[in-house]
Amino acid sequence: MILDTLGVGLLGTSTEICHKVIQYSKIYSSDISSTTWGHLDFRLPPLYAAFVNGVAVHSMDFDDTWHPATHPSGAVLPAVIALSEAFSQKKKISGLDLLLAFNVGIEVQGRLLHFSSEARNIPKRFHPPTVVGTMGSAAACAKLLALDQLKCKNALAIAASYAGAPLANAATQTKPLHVGNAAKHGLEAACLALLGVQGNGQILDMESGMGAFYTDYNPQTLPTLQSYPWLLDQQDVAIKRFPAHLGTHWVADAASSVRRKLIEHNNLFPLDKIEKVIVKVPEVRYVNRPTPNSEHEARHSFQFVACSALLDGSMSVQSFASENIHRPALRELLCKTHLQHPPDNKPSFENLYCEVSVTLQDGYTFSDRCDTFYGHWRKPLRKEDLEKKFQSNASRVLSAEATEGILETVYNLEKVEDSSVLSTFLSGQSATALSEKLHLL
Amino acid sequence: LWETVTSSFASFIHAVQPVHLSKAVCHRSKRMILDSIGVGLVGSTTHVFNIALKYCRELYSSAAVSSVYGKPGIKLSPTLAAFTNGVATHSMDFDDTWHPATHPSGAVLPALLAASQMLPPSTKPNGLDFLLAFNVGLEVQGRLMHFSSEAHNIPKRFHPPSVVGTMGSAAATAKLLSLSIAQCTHALGIAASLAGAPMANAATQAKPLHMGNAARLGFEAALLAARGMEANPFILDGIPGCSGFSAFYSVYQPKPVSVPSDHHEFLLEKQDIAFKRFPAHLGMHWVVDAALSVRNLFINYAGSFSPSLIRTIVLKIPVSKYINRPFPSSEHQARHSFQFNACTALLDGEVGLSSFSENSIHRQELRELLDKVVVEHPEDNVANFDKMYGEVALLLHSGDVLTGKCDTFYGHWRKPLSRESLLKKFRSNASHVLSEEKIETIITTVDNLENLSDSSQLACTL
Repeated sequence: MILDTLGVGLLGTSTEICHKVIQYSKIYSSDISSTTWGHLDFRLPPLYAAFVNGVAVHSMDFDDTWHPATHPSGAVLPAVIALSEAFSQKKKISGLDLLLAFNVGIEVQGRLLHFSSEARNIPKRFHPPTVVGTMGSAAACAKLLALDQLKCKNALAIAASYAGAPLANAATQTKPLHVGNAAKHGLEAACLALLGVQGNGQILDMESGMGAFYTDYNPQTLPTLQSYPWLLDQQDVAIKRFPAHLGTHWVADAASSVRRKLIEHNNLFPLDKIEKVIVKVPEVRYVNRPTPNSEHEARHSFQFVACSALLDGSMSVQSFASENIHRPALRELLCKTHLQHPPDNKPSFENLYCEVSVTLQDGYTFSDRCDTFYGHWRKPLRKEDLEKKFQSNASRVLSAEATEGILETVYNLEKVEDSSVLSTFLSGQSATALSEKLHLL
Repeated sequence: LWETVTSSFASFIHAVQPVHLSKAVCHRSKRMILDSIGVGLVGSTTHVFNIALKYCRELYSSAAVSSVYGKPGIKLSPTLAAFTNGVATHSMDFDDTWHPATHPSGAVLPALLAASQMLPPSTKPNGLDFLLAFNVGLEVQGRLMHFSSEAHNIPKRFHPPSVVGTMGSAAATAKLLSLSIAQCTHALGIAASLAGAPMANAATQAKPLHMGNAARLGFEAALLAARGMEANPFILDGIPGCSGFSAFYSVYQPKPVSVPSDHHEFLLEKQDIAFKRFPAHLGMHWVVDAALSVRNLFINYAGSFSPSLIRTIVLKIPVSKYINRPFPSSEHQARHSFQFNACTALLDGEVGLSSFSENSIHRQELRELLDKVVVEHPEDNVANFDKMYGEVALLLHSGDVLTGKCDTFYGHWRKPLSRESLLKKFRSNASHVLSEEKIETIITTVDNLENLSDSSQLACTL
């Protein structure tokens, strides 16, 4: 998860939205500073580094997804990395410290999501990273700051007052801010708690606390630490193969498979002979877009991904480039595409499926169904494919040496003495100058 | 042309001009500005304020152009000044309250003060621009609250300043910074993603952060929009299956706001604000006035205030969990306790700043009185600042019953504070941190706000 998130974030620094938030964040400078991933030329105050890097991670909707639904890593990793750099003069944070804090952040999110049955389905009201992500970031930072129990409680209480952004900004340029803000505000909450600010000590218990974000809310205490059952043990994340809403990954696999059948049968892809395309998916309003016009909309469009995968055979980062979104062949195919919502197709990342059928003018229909896409937790990416995704992303902004350096560091994280080496690679510094820094225990 | 709710708001923010402000609106809003500054100044002496300030100073040093209440030597970056001053304003729960319920000024004024100092000398807004932007911030808050019947009552789920306040701050700063219509639309959209804090942090030290964040984050939303950030242009409209601003309410019926032509009726014209006379939740003001009234009766009856003669104190109050606290143990809880405020009024004959000090909260005589309190929730006592009442009855050992009731406390919009009372509150607050000379300068500046050529002067006087 850490590796994937770093790659996705590095790639994301090249997006327009990221450029805007960097410009914005440069207003603030400070004596303490942290790395902006992919940038050697300037540093930012830890909070704004967390913000900017969090935005980068979610800028293309390329980051991990969990069940119950949220994007867990983007809210936590940027915050803990930025924070770890803030101490580096006074105190060394080891790779193990970082790994533990990261997992605390993930675990807290998962536990909170289990407090409401609403959370098991694709969301409708609040965007989950802004609800549980903020809390996860606060928890992870509180851990890294080694806050006492009371201050940890206050960090959570304060964080709750920053949580919650409405879903309507999904599929717009503002959505990536959700993850940036989750990271930043969680970090801020932990810092305020460190300074002694107090909130409601029962924030997770009360309906008027965390319960405010859900219509049904049933909080539970955590199990004891003795042989602690981490949620990540029982439930893995899904890693995306292309930068779009998770629901579209089923569509892509089904459509690619239908394309293969079409070619087999017709020797070529019969674009002109297509009468209609039916895509059977669950009902998810914010991913139902018949004619997307921006990259943000395209990443949230079942129809777009179906047509794109039919035309090209597979999806990639390039599929969402402006030229590709607007190409005539695609627009033509989109006009012939319709969604259907079978009642047995539930809007949950654990249960949904996709069926794509293409009907030709002569009446022949070719279809296929995808129950579990490659990258889903039931069919996780193999190591080589995870690495390939990372390399492809990171190499857009970092040298091969820095990219290798990150891979090495993350694979051996438990043994890394001083985790600041990770940040140094992230900023793009040459690895050869740093090989001394990479001390393994 | 069918206009969306969101675009009507953006058009309003963009197109409204000083000429649309009425005299009543100018007058009332200036009273609000004065009260808010005073409350912020006294708030700069609180513990929570000190933490917020320390935090901001430690993490950020440059682009420090905006003033901090009560700290003439210190400047912060604009959004952090907005944050810090917003915290100050709400730190003691001493700031204004509107109907439907929210604390409107604290979310808007700190952002505008900070923004006014940020702009280069050639484009400084004048006093009238400032007053207009302030009123845009209020108006947007009021309009949004009218979209949900829930908003009319004392809140239960999200703390209103964190919901509508953030939007108001975005609107006000968008106005002051002269953003285009499209940018105003996006400022609102981005702000929605920064809104919403749960009620559970009310009555804790974290509550003032709600105000600070409303001011700061709304301001940030406007700054991001100014730099080209885009959000959902239908954020205020009802979008089925995918919540926008409606996420914060269970019932939501948005309506477009009319673009001002020659005449726009601001909500402040029809519905004035309540100013608090002492630093506690607005609901407390009814029971305090009722308690003071029954205290007088009791003194006439018994010659002096003799608690031993009292068997039971019955409080008739509306149902609202977060302000029903029989034995508050912190200042934040005490400010949100019907019982505490009623007993303090009975015991001391008044409630003021010092009523909430550690010593006052924990004194024996007060605890003894609190022990005698019993709370009742009459059905006709609705949890709504326009309709509620407070009743305090003393059931004496002798069998006699003395009652005091208050329908409208002094300071409520139905019985507004006189100019003298408002100034008295301001001077008392400001004197904690400013010299007499500076205090009078602020009063004069706000009084003549429409004639000020450079509104950043107001911020500089703090």
